[in-house]
Amino acid sequence: MVTVGIIPNPASGKDIRRLIAHGSVFDNQEKVNIVRRVMLGLQSAGVDNVIIMPDYFGIGRRALDGVQLKMAADILEMSIEANQDDSTRAAGMMREMGVGAVVTLGGDGTNRAVAKEIGDVPMMPISTGTNNVFPQMIEGTLAGMAAGIVAGKLLPLNETAQRQLRLDVMRDGELIDIALVDVVVSDDIFIGSRAIWDMTKVRELVLTRASPSNIGLSSVGGSLFCPRLDRQHGVYIQIGDGDSLVELTAPIAPGLVETMHVTKFRLLEIGMSVPVHVKPSILALDGEREVKVAAGDDIHVALTNHGPYVIDTHRTMDAAARHGLLRRMKTPEISSTRCLLCTLGVCQDPPLQCLIEEN
Amino acid sequence: MTEKIENEKLLAMYKSMVTIRLFETRVSELFAAGKLPGFIHLYIGEEAVATGVCAHLKGQDYITSTHRGHGHLIAKGGDLNMMMAELYGKRTGYCKGKGGSMHIADVDLGILGANGIVGGGPPIAAGAAFGIKYQGGDGVVACFFGDAASNQGTFHEGLNLASVWKLPVIFVCENNLYGISVSQARHQNISDVADRANAYDIPGVVVDGNDVMAVYEAAGEAIKRARAGKGPSLIECKTYRWRGHFEGDPTPYRPKSEVDAWMKKDPIPRFEVALKEMGVVTDEGIAAIKKEISEKVEAAVKFSEESAWPALQEILDDVYTGGSVAV
Repeated sequence: MVTVGIIPNPASGKDIRRLIAHGSVFDNQEKVNIVRRVMLGLQSAGVDNVIIMPDYFGIGRRALDGVQLKMAADILEMSIEANQDDSTRAAGMMREMGVGAVVTLGGDGTNRAVAKEIGDVPMMPISTGTNNVFPQMIEGTLAGMAAGIVAGKLLPLNETAQRQLRLDVMRDGELIDIALVDVVVSDDIFIGSRAIWDMTKVRELVLTRASPSNIGLSSVGGSLFCPRLDRQHGVYIQIGDGDSLVELTAPIAPGLVETMHVTKFRLLEIGMSVPVHVKPSILALDGEREVKVAAGDDIHVALTNHGPYVIDTHRTMDAAARHGLLRRMKTPEISSTRCLLCTLGVCQDPPLQCLIEEN
Repeated sequence: MTEKIENEKLLAMYKSMVTIRLFETRVSELFAAGKLPGFIHLYIGEEAVATGVCAHLKGQDYITSTHRGHGHLIAKGGDLNMMMAELYGKRTGYCKGKGGSMHIADVDLGILGANGIVGGGPPIAAGAAFGIKYQGGDGVVACFFGDAASNQGTFHEGLNLASVWKLPVIFVCENNLYGISVSQARHQNISDVADRANAYDIPGVVVDGNDVMAVYEAAGEAIKRARAGKGPSLIECKTYRWRGHFEGDPTPYRPKSEVDAWMKKDPIPRFEVALKEMGVVTDEGIAAIKKEISEKVEAAVKFSEESAWPALQEILDDVYTGGSVAV
């Protein structure tokens, strides 16, 4: 039996970044709609059972109320604390239940919470948050189909998903937290409203990704390592004022483009770690202030390849088409697994993957 | 993020929260002892909201309050003696002992009044903000209300006018999960009141209402925006009232486990931990602050006990219509 989990975050897309920047407003009614479309996509891909994390708004319950399904679908039995621990616990419970994939609805923060306990279960992150570097802006139906194909093991994992890098925050050598996109050292005193936007307080950045087309602080790395970083490296950056090496401009939040001065930067290999120099400080993980660092703390951030598997919708759907998963042939002469364009001679210059398929 | 904030300011915020807690706790005891006539709605558990917002307000700024108003009044500088005397029904009270808890106001301090009408505040706040704008001032109005008040027409009218005219007001929803005895899930079909901001094209944000610095940051940004002429914002503070809707409410409508879970998120010890970590205050300092405030509350009780009752002949004084009564 193929089971897929869904973890929708009712609190994503509502934080202070709507006040200090122009963060998109993502109401929960739309998340209900997305979950419905995800379920219909999952069902079409042959999934037998869906299990949804409960939440204080009742995204899953409302989604189930509004859609007719042939497959089984239910709400996960768990208590709700209405904080990010719900997503973490739900991910752990779903992993133990043996789900084939987990679809998340949230931003970078939501996926960080899920990644803590997801293990090797492939994730399908749909963007409904504020800074969305990790999740994909993708239509729910397609996300559901892709997650269903991966969960049903209809395609090899290396054609559909990729393991991500992870930043491990270590205190005295012990793992205390993780980030999927960025760790930001902020000269701040309170965790407060969590979001991070004041560049005069940002001192150090550690990034798993660096692309100038990202929104959020990972875009800073993108301007240094253009056009984008490969999946085997991270970046360490120091921000300061005065004698800087580089002055650059980056979109650090929706509608907030800031200029800053880079005083030091270097590429990080997997396995390397960097100490946090600015103390006392607050560490923001994937855009949210989370960890207080005291003056005497020994804190390191290590780049690892222990991140979750993330489904690439476009690659999955392309591979599904190539392997003929989305069609049933009514003409015996035409192979159901060979590219129709090649078979019919329409494509004069078959792309590499079609040739591999034929062989 | 938190702008540089002086230790003195942090301590003032801490003292405001402790004053609200100790005042309300004492009021609860006095009500149970039969000392206070009239209804009492206590703010215990929600201290971080009033404190985090009012910490930004200046003398010329206004607040509108609610039936659960003691916390707002204290955070805006209300006089403990006059508040307590009003609860006692004594002549030295804010309303000369004839208004009670839900009618305390102090216009000199910018307190436009507690309000017995659920949702009564937003139109008053919009009106006061219009006045500020009309007169060209840089003041701001903070309008406090609850989750259930956001179902009232007055809420929507207030937000509508404030947004159309870009008025300097911040709407602060204290979402304590209940409208009297009705849980939020039963009185509205949304879980985040902040979502309602969208309908008026103003920013709507959700913050942890039991974290005074989270409230402080969000309120600070919203007030900055309001003073700059950019119009109103809606801040929803997720919080919880420890006591019943009114004193004497046995709260059969909510599970003890829920109350226990929220009491673990008590905003005062959370702030104490942060202040101690920062070296702003020590355990001894905290004990001294609590003792000092406790003495002020006791002084307010003594002041009220020793104050006179209003005379029966004064019953029609200070009302809008003239009149007389045979006594």
